[in-house]
Amino acid sequence: MRYIKNLLAVVLIFAFAPGLLFPQYQELSTERSVKFKPGIGFEYLNRTLDWGEDNTSKLNSYLFTLNAEIEIQDRISLSAIAGYSLSNFDKLLFRQLPFSIELDTGNIGGYLFGSELNFKIYNFNDFEIRARGQFVYYIATKKEWDIPGLSVSGNVTGKPNWWRIIAGPQITYTGFDYFYPYIFISYTDLKGTYSMEQSIEDLSGKEDKKIVSLGNICAAIGTRYELTDYLNIKAEMLLIPNDNSLDYSFILGTIFSF
Amino acid sequence: MKSKKLLLYICVIFSIVLSTGYTQTRLHKKLRPHYKTHPHHQIIRQLNRGLPLHKKSQKYAEDQILVKFKPSVKSQSIETTLAVYNSKLLKKILVGNIFVVQIPAGTTVKEMVYIMSQNADVEYVGPNFIAHITVTPNDTFFDYQYALYNSGQDIGVPGSPQGKNRADIKATAAWEETKGAEEVIIAIIDTGVDLEHPDLVNKIISSGRDFVNDDFDATDDNSHGTFVAGIAAAETNNNEGVSGVAWNCKILPIKCIDDEGSGFYSWIIDGIYWAVDNNASVINLSIGGPETDPGLEDALKYAFDNNVVVVAAAGNEAEPVLYPAAYTEYCIAVAASDYDDNQVSWSNYGPEIDVAAPGERIVGCVPSWFWGAGSIPYAFGSGTSYSSPHVAGFAALIKSSKDWLTAAEIMNIICYSADDVNSAEYPGKDDYIGYGRINMEKALVPIIITN
Repeated sequence: MRYIKNLLAVVLIFAFAPGLLFPQYQELSTERSVKFKPGIGFEYLNRTLDWGEDNTSKLNSYLFTLNAEIEIQDRISLSAIAGYSLSNFDKLLFRQLPFSIELDTGNIGGYLFGSELNFKIYNFNDFEIRARGQFVYYIATKKEWDIPGLSVSGNVTGKPNWWRIIAGPQITYTGFDYFYPYIFISYTDLKGTYSMEQSIEDLSGKEDKKIVSLGNICAAIGTRYELTDYLNIKAEMLLIPNDNSLDYSFILGTIFSF
Repeated sequence: MKSKKLLLYICVIFSIVLSTGYTQTRLHKKLRPHYKTHPHHQIIRQLNRGLPLHKKSQKYAEDQILVKFKPSVKSQSIETTLAVYNSKLLKKILVGNIFVVQIPAGTTVKEMVYIMSQNADVEYVGPNFIAHITVTPNDTFFDYQYALYNSGQDIGVPGSPQGKNRADIKATAAWEETKGAEEVIIAIIDTGVDLEHPDLVNKIISSGRDFVNDDFDATDDNSHGTFVAGIAAAETNNNEGVSGVAWNCKILPIKCIDDEGSGFYSWIIDGIYWAVDNNASVINLSIGGPETDPGLEDALKYAFDNNVVVVAAAGNEAEPVLYPAAYTEYCIAVAASDYDDNQVSWSNYGPEIDVAAPGERIVGCVPSWFWGAGSIPYAFGSGTSYSSPHVAGFAALIKSSKDWLTAAEIMNIICYSADDVNSAEYPGKDDYIGYGRINMEKALVPIIITN
């Protein structure tokens, strides 16, 4: 019973923390509710990967997610993310294997896990500033391919993973009734490893290729639209410049509110 | 109890405040070094970070297309057309009336080519393809070296046989990936090497070792070793003579065969140990005898255990494979193929054969004294002796690009990348060409893996 009380106390602290951190909002906190907001989302991700030897290639991913968000007092929300992703690493080269290989294998399916934290920092006139951070981790299922053209049979087995963080302030215009456009300037990073094993009769090798995304500053525009009291739609376009190109990502999502 | 709870609450709130500040500090720390150390900010850059030039896999510009409009289309309407497609004119190639066009972000070249090909004003539209350097050395007799690149050319003087197109070891494609490293040394255990030969003088690291005369001057008094050395690693792209398989690798001459073309096993055993102890990465043995000898086998094992790849000729008598080539566990046994990718009739055979390489009508170096004054020091020759150094040079290139590989792994790569050119008659590994005729491209250039 004592533990339950302590747990409740900690939950209450988290609920009131933003108010305590930013006392100017204490007067406004008239509504004290906890909302559960499940959602579904889709994201297309295009990032330039640097993997050494002055070589780059692209990561193209489709992310399908289910989100479970808990919003407390319209001030702080925490989401758990789970889903599935198809990630394409074509043109990635593995030179540390006995036979060097280049990928042209298309999408590899994998699971996604992550979380997102979002809390209100400041309000002025019709603008709202929130802090937003997200972490997503992708891990693929192992996939095997035959190596063509050899005098004996052989195969390679690939298993990629990557993680991405994105965090920064979001400024939302709240002057419209149902339409909430925003800009989101953030720091982002994407790193991962593509493990490739080669097996050709008694010849074998393994290479763990480290991949790092180019570009760490991200600018995004997006909007949330309240279709009904219980259903919101979200769209967002992110641009991530780097020395070689302009990477981008776009997100579509629906959020239910209970 | 109340004060403890209050303390707990204060601690939790404090930690949230601290963690917010810490996150911001970390962002600053991570961002700054990225810009400071970015290579574009360095004044002098090494090409490809000092690594061998690799063939880039990109086939065409990903944000450009080439468009040719019909002659009747006026330039003003071209600009309008491009604007409709949200594309930007980058350059006009005046003579060909071809336009280099930047496609809008978010579209692929494939999509834009399809879209614009539907326009009636467009005569031609396609990707802006990227050409890569092709490695064709400028050596005088490269055209005769069908073994390295066979275009179906005359393989010698006019009227000589013509080779079958691409019945070769795919050397030119492999050279785009690597031309070898100077640190990789090929020991030529043979009749010695002409130390002053113009195509070899810059490739020989020392005067070597002579076990016949027991001195340190491995000068060739026969010609066989010079020929072998030239195939493996003659100076290449020097506007002279022939091309070597391993452009940048070095030659260590070791004389274990006398001027008559014979040598005691003891000399050869000595030569193998000496080569290993003098940093050879590859040993070529274009020599052989019908008798087995445990001492010779032990010497090969010594090389194998020290990660030195040993390559040996199978022999030219249409008989069972000679020793040391027949010690298949420790060395690669090489049979001879010809300009049509056929096995040569005189090439020895047996289950010990690992691979084949061209050995018929091969052009190579001979000592400067061989033909006498006024003649060029090159000749045509045939034999598994000349097949073997093709494989030795190949092994040196693999070692150059992947120095962590063991001798066994390099031997396997050479075997598994071979083309089974007699598969119609003898599918799989056979007694005549083993796994097949060597294919350097397959072993050295990344293999594209598709679904």
